[in-house]
Amino acid sequence: MSRGVPTRRELLGAGAAGAAGLLALPAAAVAATSTTGQPPFSETDRLQRLIRLELLLLYCYRHVLGSSILGPRAHRTLAPFEGHEQAHVDALETQLKARGGAVPPGPDSVKTANRYLAHRGVGGRLGQLKGSRDALYLLLTLEQVTIGAYFVALSKLNDSHLITLACQIMANEAQHDAMIGLSLPKSTPGSAVPYGLVQGIQ
Amino acid sequence: MVRDDGRASSRRALLTGTGTALAGGALALAGCGSVDTGKKAVKKTSAPVRRQDIEILTHALDLERRTVAAYIACIPLLTHPQRKAFRQFLNEELEHTGELVSLIKAAGGKAPPRADSYPIGHATDGPSALAVLHSLEALQISSYLEWIPRLSPAPVRAAVASILTVDAQHLTMVRVTQGQDPVPGPFVTGSV
Repeated sequence: MSRGVPTRRELLGAGAAGAAGLLALPAAAVAATSTTGQPPFSETDRLQRLIRLELLLLYCYRHVLGSSILGPRAHRTLAPFEGHEQAHVDALETQLKARGGAVPPGPDSVKTANRYLAHRGVGGRLGQLKGSRDALYLLLTLEQVTIGAYFVALSKLNDSHLITLACQIMANEAQHDAMIGLSLPKSTPGSAVPYGLVQGIQ
Repeated sequence: MVRDDGRASSRRALLTGTGTALAGGALALAGCGSVDTGKKAVKKTSAPVRRQDIEILTHALDLERRTVAAYIACIPLLTHPQRKAFRQFLNEELEHTGELVSLIKAAGGKAPPRADSYPIGHATDGPSALAVLHSLEALQISSYLEWIPRLSPAPVRAAVASILTVDAQHLTMVRVTQGQDPVPGPFVTGSV
């Protein structure tokens, strides 16, 4: 997890100032709420952060689906998700470019992807997965980290088009999460959707 | 609220047992944190904003209650294994109504009483019951996508999005049960 900026909890749990106050404050005051003294994320920063995560997810799907580690049923279930992640990247990049932002690079090797996974606290490493279960749990955890990133983004974004897009993608990642969960041994539709509220891993 | 079950336990065991996951992060797969944050946030907004939020959240509550009524009516028409899963989805929908009532109260409003009845169609067997649930979950999603950008401030939007996200998962499981493509596209719209 990047700690260059305050976490949602740090920002929102900071007492009476709270999130509502945060949104109403001028930029300088908002910056002052940062525990690091760094300026707050702009929409461009937020989009770049989401794209980096989507590119990591895309790389992991490609790696897992390109190997023979998944059983046929799980492979069939997850195969369309690679295209979904690419569509998310494309949509976010369109928004980023429209705001003059530079598109960040994705991982260019297994080693880099594994470094990013470690940075985000995701257990499991590409190239060291022992079987289908390992691969599914890695993707499941990374999907939940991605859902968490969208949840945090939604607590900051103010552009209505971006809000709708973030909701649509976050919900789609949650659907992936449920289907990966359903692909685990002894899983059922009920156990694949175990929570009434989903905020991902933050 | 967190409901723990086999998958949740195994997730947790995986994510906390290795010592590598979630370093420095917070596990928030579910919980009331978003609503608590949303409640704090909405209390600090101006009266006109709160009025608009109350209006939207009341519409959302009505739709969630309608969906709850549909689950209650449809579950007996499903097969035994389906009933177990869908009872859980019913509980999750009930949880959504509770969260929406909390947000309405936090905004200074009062949740209206439940209606005597809701329009939920006329399911007579398993497939028609699934069709009713499919259409209502999809309606919830499309409605939330229209409502969320109009809510303010942002933490309230995030809190309601955590409800939308679960409704999207419900729709996926309904589609699985119907034998349909569970995730038909990269963007959830509620149109299918």
